[in-house]
Parts: sequence; C-alpha cells; structure tokens
Amino acid sequence: MSPERRRKAEELAARYPRRQSALIPFLQYCQEQDGFVTRQAIRDGAEMCGLTEAEVESIASFYTLLFRQSVGKHLIQVCRTLSCMLRGAGELQEHIRRRLGVRNGETTPDGLFTYEEVECLAACDRAPCLQHNLMFHYNVTPDEFDRLLETWRASRPAVSLPAE
Amino acid sequence: MAPFEPVLTRGLGRLDLTDLSVYEAQGGFGALRKALRDMTPEAVVNEVSASNLRGRGGAGFPTGRKWSFLPNDGRPRYLVCNCDEAEPGTFKDHMLLEQTPFQIIEGLVISAYAIRAERAFMYIRGEFLEGYRIFRRALETARERGYVGPRIAGSDFSLDIVVHRGAGAYICGEETAMLESIEGKRGEPRLKPPFPANAGLYGMPTVVNNVETLCCVPHIVERGAQWFSSIGPPKCPGPKIISVSGHVRKPGNYEVPMGIPAGQLIEEYAGGLEPGRRLKAIQPGGGSSAAIFEEDLDTGLDFDSLAAKGTMLGSGGFVVMDDRTCLVRAALTLVRFFEHESCGQCTPCREGGQWVARMVGRLEAGEGSNADLAILRTLNRTLTGTNLCPLGDSIMPFLSSVLRRFPEEFETHVTQAGCPLAAEQAVAAGAGA
Amino acid sequence: MTNGRRMVRLTIDGTSLEVPEGTLLVEAAKSIGVHIPVYCYHPKMDPAGLCRICLVEIEKMPKLQIACNTQVAEGMVVHTASSRVAEGRRGVLEFLLLNHPLDCPICDKGGECDLQDFTLTYGPGASRLTEPKLHKPKAVDLGPTIVLDEERCILCRRCTRFDNEITHERRLIVVERGHRSLIGTADGKPYTSYFSGNTTEICPVGALTSKAYRFRSRPWDLSHADSVCTQCSVGCNYRIDSRFGRIMRTYTRENPAVDDGWICDRGRYTFNYLYEPSRLRQPLIAVDGELKAATFDEAIALTAEKLGRAAQARRVGIIGGGRLSDEEAFALQLLARDVLGSDNIDYRASAQKYASPPRYEARLADIDDASLILIFGAVTPEQAPIADLRIRRAVARRHARLLFVGPFVPPAFVPSRHVPYAPGEIAPLMRALADVVHHGREEQGEGFVAEIAQALAQAEKIIAIHNGRDPQAVEALDALLDRLAQYDHPVGVLVVGAAGNARGAEAAGCVPNLGPGYAPLGRTGMTTARMLDAAARGEIDALFIAGANPALTFPDGALVRRALERVEFLAVSEQVMTETAAYADVVFAAASFAEKSGHVTNLEGRQQPFHQAVEPPVQVATDAQILAALAHALGKPWVISAEPAVLFSQLEKMQRPARTRSSRDPLPRPCVDDPVPVPDPASWPDGLTVIPIPHLYAGGGAAAHDPGLAPMRPQPFAVFHPQDAQQRGVADGTRVRLRGPGGEIEVQARTGDHVPPGSVLVLADMPEAPVNKLTNASGYGVACVDAATVTASQELSA
Repeated sequence: MSPERRRKAEELAARYPRRQSALIPFLQYCQEQDGFVTRQAIRDGAEMCGLTEAEVESIASFYTLLFRQSVGKHLIQVCRTLSCMLRGAGELQEHIRRRLGVRNGETTPDGLFTYEEVECLAACDRAPCLQHNLMFHYNVTPDEFDRLLETWRASRPAVSLPAE
Repeated sequence: MAPFEPVLTRGLGRLDLTDLSVYEAQGGFGALRKALRDMTPEAVVNEVSASNLRGRGGAGFPTGRKWSFLPNDGRPRYLVCNCDEAEPGTFKDHMLLEQTPFQIIEGLVISAYAIRAERAFMYIRGEFLEGYRIFRRALETARERGYVGPRIAGSDFSLDIVVHRGAGAYICGEETAMLESIEGKRGEPRLKPPFPANAGLYGMPTVVNNVETLCCVPHIVERGAQWFSSIGPPKCPGPKIISVSGHVRKPGNYEVPMGIPAGQLIEEYAGGLEPGRRLKAIQPGGGSSAAIFEEDLDTGLDFDSLAAKGTMLGSGGFVVMDDRTCLVRAALTLVRFFEHESCGQCTPCREGGQWVARMVGRLEAGEGSNADLAILRTLNRTLTGTNLCPLGDSIMPFLSSVLRRFPEEFETHVTQAGCPLAAEQAVAAGAGA
Repeated sequence: MTNGRRMVRLTIDGTSLEVPEGTLLVEAAKSIGVHIPVYCYHPKMDPAGLCRICLVEIEKMPKLQIACNTQVAEGMVVHTASSRVAEGRRGVLEFLLLNHPLDCPICDKGGECDLQDFTLTYGPGASRLTEPKLHKPKAVDLGPTIVLDEERCILCRRCTRFDNEITHERRLIVVERGHRSLIGTADGKPYTSYFSGNTTEICPVGALTSKAYRFRSRPWDLSHADSVCTQCSVGCNYRIDSRFGRIMRTYTRENPAVDDGWICDRGRYTFNYLYEPSRLRQPLIAVDGELKAATFDEAIALTAEKLGRAAQARRVGIIGGGRLSDEEAFALQLLARDVLGSDNIDYRASAQKYASPPRYEARLADIDDASLILIFGAVTPEQAPIADLRIRRAVARRHARLLFVGPFVPPAFVPSRHVPYAPGEIAPLMRALADVVHHGREEQGEGFVAEIAQALAQAEKIIAIHNGRDPQAVEALDALLDRLAQYDHPVGVLVVGAAGNARGAEAAGCVPNLGPGYAPLGRTGMTTARMLDAAARGEIDALFIAGANPALTFPDGALVRRALERVEFLAVSEQVMTETAAYADVVFAAASFAEKSGHVTNLEGRQQPFHQAVEPPVQVATDAQILAALAHALGKPWVISAEPAVLFSQLEKMQRPARTRSSRDPLPRPCVDDPVPVPDPASWPDGLTVIPIPHLYAGGGAAAHDPGLAPMRPQPFAVFHPQDAQQRGVADGTRVRLRGPGGEIEVQARTGDHVPPGSVLVLADMPEAPVNKLTNASGYGVACVDAATVTASQELSA
C-alpha cells in the first residue's frame, strides 16, 4: 500500500469502533483516485482490514456505486423507476442513448461519458431526474439534457466518482 | 381542531435551516437542552412512548417500545439513523437531509441520550453525495457549538456521531442489512433472531431509526407527548411527510397530519390532477405497497387505515397515476426494481423476483401469454411471506393489486400484443413535453 | 435435564416430544423421524436461512417459519405436512428449478441429489417456465480439484460458509448480488484449499463436482466399504466407493470424535496411484543389479534364506510398521523376535522418536474446549489437517489461544502467537517453563518464558501438540505438565505421527525395547539409526523394510544411503517403487489399505477397524501374507498368521494391560539414540541452517505417483529470509543448488519474512530433492547456496 493510502486507511479506520467498517469508505476513496476499484485497491482494502482479497471482492461486488471497471469522465445515471417513468424518463433515456450512441451501462468510445439507467434516486417530485458524477439534475427534458451535455463537454474532466 | 401547522418542515423553502444560527433562531436545539438538562433518559423514553410515535421508515413500529427493548447489561449501545432512502416514490429524508440537517442532529442526540448510546451512526445513501456533504458540514458546526461531542450542552452526556456513506444498495435500508453494511460487509439482511436490540451493530444492542422518526423526537420533547398524540389518529398520531409524485400538478413533499384522506392530500396539497384527467391508481406507501384506487380516496393516510385496505403507509411515497398510465409498464418498473435490488440470499426473492420481472417485461412488450397472467395471479402465495426479509415480500403487492383491479388491461396486452394506451400515451407525452 | 439444559415440550405433526431448550426445530423433528427438507442448513454450520425449503407452519404465527433457525419453545405446535407447508415447499422448488439446467442425465450428483430427491417428494410436477432459461458459466475450473457449474448452483452457500466457518480460509465467495450471484474466488484464482473436496459432498446439487469423480460412475452403481484414511495419523473415517473392483471415490463417514465429518484432499484423492503403471504388481528380484519380475514364491524363498542366515549370525535388522496395519505391525515384530530371534526392529524411519505421550494422553476432541493450545515441532495444517480444523474452530469460535513454538512461522488461518525458538532450543525452553511454573514465578522468566508461562498458568485447559522428535523436549514437557496439573486444570498431549500408523506400530511392539502393548522386554535391540550404522559398517547382513521409505525420510540421509548401498541383502515391501525399494535385492508388491482389512491406531490411540474395499492385483499380497509366508519358509509356520482376525485377537490381549492401566502410570518409553547436535551453520562456508518443512502433498510413495495429487503437488522449494537471499544474489523463483556436507539438492528459491535469518526452510520428503541429503540425525542441517547455480538461473530468467 502506498504511504498516502495507508494514511487515508488509518484516518478512515479511526472513525469506527472496528476497522472493517472503514472498508467501503476506503474503497470509495481508492475509486475516486483511480477511477474505479482496482485490483490493487482490493488488495489494499484486504490488508487494511485483515480480510482476504476474496472477501473484499465479494463485498465490493455487492454495491452498485463501486465500479470494477473504469467509467467515463462523466458518469450519467438516469432514474428509471416509477415516478420518473410517469413523467417522461423513458423518452429522456431514449434521447440520451441516441445522443451518446450507447446502450445502458456503456461508455462512449472516447471514454468521456458512461450512461447508466438506475433505480429511484429519491427526487420524484422533480422527475425525470439524473445524476451527473453524483450531482443531481432535476426536471431534465431532452432539451435540458442537450444543454447540460454541452456544459459537461466544455468543462474540465471532473472526478466521476467523488468519495466525500 | 386548529388548522395543522407544519412541524418537521416548518420554515423549509423560506429559511436557510442549514445555517445553525437560523435553526437556533427558530428554537432549534431547545429540545436538546431541555432533555439533557431537565429530563432523565427514562423520561425521554417515556415521553416518546406516550406520544405513540411510530417509525416513519415504513414498518410503523412504536419508537418508544423499540427503545425500551434494549437489554440493560452494560454493553455499549449504538443508535443508527437510517438515511438510506431508496423506496421508489419516497424523497422526504432526502429533503430533510439537505435542508434541515440540524433537526436530524438534534433528534439523534436526544434519542441517543434516551437509549444511552455511546455512539451514533448516520447512514446516508451513497447517491446522496450532496446531502452527505451538507450533513457533514452541519455536524462539524454542531460539534464546534457543543451540540455533539463531549459533554453536550454542558451536560454529562457525550456523543460521537459517525457519518457513513452507503455505496449503492436499496437493501441497506433494511435495518440488519444496514448494520452489515456499516460493519463493512455485503449489505445482506441478517437472520432474525437475534434482533438488533440484542445483537445489532458489532453484536451490541442497537436501535435503528428513520430520519423522519428522529426529527419528530425534539418536537415531542419540546411540546410534549400529549400535543403530539393529539395530531391525527391516536394510535398513530403526529405529523407525517408524504412524498407526492406522479400525475399531480404540484408534486412535492407535504407535511400533513397523520390520517388525512388520500383525496384531500391530492386536491388540497398536490394541486389535483391535470385538467381532464381521471385517477387510475395510487401507490400510497412506496414501491412495496399495493395500489389503492378511485374508490379509496377517503382512506386516511396512516398505518392502520391503509393496512385495513390491504396496503400500507410504508415510507409515505405517494405516487399518483392518472388514466394515461399503462399499469403493466408501471408494474414493470417496480418488479424490475426489486429484481435489481434483491440481495440474492434467499430463493423466492432471488429466483421469483427475476421470473416475475421477465414475465411482466414480456407482457409489456406485447409478447406475453395468458399462461403468464395465470402464473402471476398465483405467485403472491409463494413469493410473498416466504422470504428472509421484507424485500421479497414487496415484489408482488402492487402488481397483484392492479392485476386484480384492471385485469382487462393486462389481458389486452396479451390479445392486442401490446399496450392499448400506447397511442394515447404518445400524444400525452408530446403534450407534456 | 440434558447437560444442564432445560427441557422444552412441543408437538410436531401430532407427536409430542421433549428436547433441550435451544434445539432447532429441524433437529427436533429429525429426532422423532420427521423429515424436513433442507439445502442451506448444515448441522456443522450456523443456520443461514437462505434456501427457505424448510418452511413449516407453527400455530399462532401468521407466516410460515423456517425450521432451520427457529428454536423450540414450550407448547409450540408445529405442522410440517400441512397444505400450506406443501405449497410453500412447492413454491421454493419451483423457484429453484426455474433456471436449473435439469441436466440430470449427465450430472454426477444424479441419484444422490437433494434437488432431485426433494422435487420428487415435494416438488411441482411440471415447470411453468415458458421462456428460455437464464444462462451462467458452466464447467468453471475452480481449482485443481473442483469443477463448478454455476447453472446448477442453488446459491445455498454451504461451500462458502464451509470455507469461512469450518476452514476459516475465506477464499470461496459469493460475487455480485441478486440472481446474478455467482460462487467464485478473488480474481478467479484457483481454489486450493486442502479441504476442497468436502464442498463437493456438502453441495446439495451437482454444482461442485470433483475432477477425480466427474463422469466416472452413478452413485447407485457403487459398492461401499467402511475404511479409515492412513495418509496421516489423524485416522479420519471414510468410505471407499468402488465400481467393478476399482476405486471411484472416497467419501466422508462422520466420526464426531475424530474427523467431525470432514476429510482432507490428500486423504480423499490418494487412490488413483493404484492404477498407475508405477504400481508394483508383482514381486521383483535383482538380477545383475537390475530388478526383474519374479514369482511370489521365488521372492519368499530368497528372502527367507537371506534373513535366516543373517539371523543366525545375529546380523539382521527389520525396519517399518508405521505404514502397516496394527495386525501387520504386530506380525512384523513377530518376524523379528519370534522367527528371527532379534530385537532389531524399529518402525521409526524418520526423525520421529515417540508416537504417544507417556502420560496426559489427550483425545482429539479435547482440542474443542482447550483454552490454550501449545504446538511445537508439529505443523498441524500440513501433517494433521483435519485435527487442524478443530484447532481453528477452538481459536476462532471458542477463543482458545494458539501458541506456536518453533523456528519458523507456520501457516495459520486463525490468530496465533508465534514464539521463535531455534532448532534444538525447545528442550531448554520447556525446562525453563517447568521451573518458573513450579516456583509460581510465571512473570519472572526470561524472554518468552514469562509470556508463555503466564499463558499456561492462566489457561483453564491446555493441550500440547508436538511431533515426538525431541526426547529431551518431550521429557521437559512432561515435567512442565506435572507442575501445571497441580493447578487442577486439565492438560493433555497429542503427538502427531510421521506415518499414518506410527502409534499403532509403537503399540504393536515395533521398537527395540518394548513388545506389543508397550511391554518392557528388559533387553533392547538396535534402533533404526544403529541398524543403519551397523549396515553401513558391514555389521548387518540383511535388512527387511516393510512399509517405510527411510532413504527419503530418515534424517541422516548420508548414513541411510551408505547403509542401503552396503548391506548385503535388502528386501522391501512396497506398493510403488520408492527410493528405498530401488536399493533392494527383493521387492514385494504389497496391498494397499483399500485392498485389505484390519485396524489402525490414530494419534490419540484410538484403534479403528477398516474393511477391504477392492481386491488387490493377483500377484500382490498383503503384508500379513508376506510375513506369514516368510515365517513359513523359515520353518515357523505357526508363529505368524496371514489372517488379520487371528493376529488381532493375539494383539488385543497383549495390548489390554496398557489400555486399562491407571492414567497415573506412565507408559514405558521406546529407547532412543543419544542426541545429535544441530549442525553449526558456522561450520560450513556461508552456511545456513537447514530446516525441513512438511507439506501435505509431499512424500515419496503414493503421493509421488498419484495423478490426482499431481496438480497440487509442489515442486521442491527452499525459502530464504529476504536478507539472506539478497546477500547470496538469490531471486524469488530461480532454481538454486543447496550444498551441504552430505550432498546437494536443487530447488526453487523463494523468499519470505517468516524465515528466521540465517536459516533456510526446505520442503521435506520430496524424492526429486531429498532434504535428508543436507540434514544429520538431529533432523536439521547446514547448507550453502552454490554460487554457480545462482548465476546460471539468473541468466535463464534473463
């Protein structure tokens, strides 16, 4: 483990009565650094908590916000559940897929955008909603999406999976 | 009866309650001082018990009773605040987290004091990154001002609050799955018994309370159990935030007295349906609840009245569907949700959930058969009530209720090989956009 | 009251019963013969409540309840056969079968599959699934022993829970979630547990199948024989399943006191060597230095003549017994004493001196409630794996402390404390411990003495486990235990045997100074070391070695090689060609344990019967038959019976006094040689102390020839401390030659922090690189790294 990681691991572990509680925050931190949960992060997490790599892998694979493959600089997660569906999420999703030329779960060939349809984001009164790098955007019409897309394209690549 | 004044959402939208001084100016942390200065922990528990406050996370279990289950055996105790809001159609905790974090903190500290917890955990849904940041900032401020940390507000009571961000799993909203998740494990519900009150977080006595539940506590301490229990039906009283979404003119969170009739909520708060539209179905208590219909509009929104109608208040996610809605598609989004969120531990939920999602998906695509419908009509018997946790039991209720009420809509999907509403829906979508 | 637990009365299907409180419903039902189907539940593991097949109806409870996690309660009324229960079970089975491939015709589990069986009894008649089944990976190569079919898997998690709760290795996992869940390992790494085969048994369906048994047989075609594993000294009970006279597989046969229902992979998979070309199928006689096929009678006649002549000159010796049955070990000492008139008999073909403790004999089950487990010398995960599972459980689940005293850190899957002690220093340590404990000055010892002494004094029950190699340490331990016993806390000792039936051979009289049943003879013959020494000097003319391979296992390799080279006549009884048999003038083809019946005695002294499973090849004889034929040829036909039952009745009588003696009376000790000091590394240029380390799959006999073990068998290796490696320019993974006074071997170099600086750990008992070329009689050696090999291997790797 790199000294910097070790420092972070210790800082996170100190928050909890037991070290393993800091595992998921630690993986989130590694993910923020590396763009996804790398094999090295799995190893480091195991070392930090006294677990086997297998255990950490099992744990990491459970959570949808821990990615085991690299995601785009812009992670676009669109709600697909009932309330958003009632207010045009289907049309928005179709629009985004066409606009980016990707299917659910895919990343654009330039590695900039990853598109994912996700479950209820708890913003049903401002449907349809989406998250861009875990930041909410509400009442997103296809036109609004196009506008957002332009600002994202123009912005400097951000952290797609912020930890804290 | 005096007109209902919002309690939990008072000032929201008008005042910046993420500013501690604003929160204090509204009387914030008064209850905390009162509890810590004038009340014993037992007195707080008694007051909350007397108020008949019932858990706002979905199960509606009496909070005071939950607190009183903790064994008195000297082991450390933990309080966990469940802010893993992910029940479809529910967005109240999200709002409370982002807009009134000090109220949550005040509720947490008083409740931890009541149960003599030595540490509290705030479990925030992974997707609520903004809320997480707001809450951590608020917690820092509260700590600086002595509302959290050692010897709170000059009392002998000390409390550390650990903020834990989830990582994407609806099931972690189930209390034992949440404990597993805080322990750094897969968020899989535990086998019960033992119950968290006995063997919870790290095997210690633990209470898990929903955000809204904890937000009620300062007000009960401040204004008394009697005041609280005078709001709404005596058996499940108090203010309740209902998240209204779907086909209403003013979707949003509305704080109402418990027991308000569904129709009144739609008309008086949510602006009614769009002109010319007719109500088709309501999901009154989140994605896990069975639907109610036109004829049920006078049903009171409280735990007991909805239970009597075969559904539930749940988390208070109130989704309105008008006559444009394809109920097959609506059901599909929900069964697909549960398929995606099943932890996969137990058989009916894991296998049955995926089967139902495939059948409903086929019906929606116009490829279903009458055999599918026949199977769907029976599955509530083997898929509901046979699971380790409530998730699996949540797959069928909505589907079964709309299939029972609108069988012809499902049958038409088979006979016409597609949705009879599709044409109209396209028009409606065009108009809406 | 049972074990002080309150009794609870309840009713199951109309039958009233009383069981101790805390009993699970599923077990309560079992006790009155009511069958409740289970998949995820396993009596050796914590209830998981996952599969939901065990749903039952309990009066006054609105929902069906799972019997696997519901404890009995007073007055509980349970229905396991109601229509609601039937519907619930049918539902669960319908769900499980939805995407199950139903490839029963080619599934190994067919015929003993719980999914098949419960579907027959409780399941729906037809599938209502109309869409194509979901697909998952099939024939996944999970590791050297196991193939996984994810489609057949019902995700009951018995395998992952076994790997977590029973072995504590935590390498088998569930990945992903929901219906996408899969069984797997980290990064697809091979699943290499020593206990992997057990997962194929506990798997209730055909998801985990054993490579050794895949597509080989249907279960109903198998014949079963109850046997006992002799691959190590634990003596796990197992069943040998054969078809048309050929062994197809072995299967656990639970004995809670010994194996707790598990067997290790060495035991499970060592049987295919019997069908390899290297299996000895007829006797061999050396003609002009080359072993040629001979008849049994020829081999007997020649051997009898040579042994007889040497015996007359009092120049005969017999080595072996540790890999024979109790009856045969008894017969072997009969050959020595009653036929040849010599006490030159010794089963000890390795560094092990004792196979039993003189007092404080423990049982394996004593590990379960030990509060302190003190291990020295023995490496239980490698040498007694199933006993190690008990140790792991005691530590992980019952909070026993595990202290390992020795020169290196052994593999451990549960928390343990390693107390580093150099080879040869353990006896002084034990003496120091005995001294401080005796004087109640536990806190005053020097170095680790205080720490260990305090742990010992505080412990409520102590189990010591060693390998019987260091007589002085064993003696000091005995004195220490005497002191500790005064604290009124139970103490016990287990001695891990170097050979599977070491203790049986010791108890049958295969030592120079003791007859069967540890009867002191008042005289003594030669020990193995003295026989070899005499042979090397030409003072013994004929050696008979039965079921032993001293050329590989005897610590003073130079001596044993000289002796076997020099001795005028050597006869060896073996199943496969070994290093020792290669020196022989006559080789007898001996039957394996599967091919005969008898008894074996495990490390705790438990004498267990085993039964013949298959016939040996026609020209292969049991050791009892060979020994009886030799006695016959030597003119004493009545002395040795070829019948195990006859031998056993004789042996049993002679063993009775030792078995029934008072526990205060110490057992007489086998005689031992004078201690030989550990070689001084300074005595050799650039010398490192050579410490042999055991490995489950090492060995020169069956293990070296079994194709089933080949994928697990390590290449010879040596582990250096990183500093020593660096100084010598040795890189991880390169091949190096280790040279000592007695010879040299070539091994793969590894590095590890667990190696004490100045030492090198060398894999023991590998015929490709016998470590006894480097060691002396102390069991340790000295060697340097041959510089030439280092440069060469670096060039190779470059």
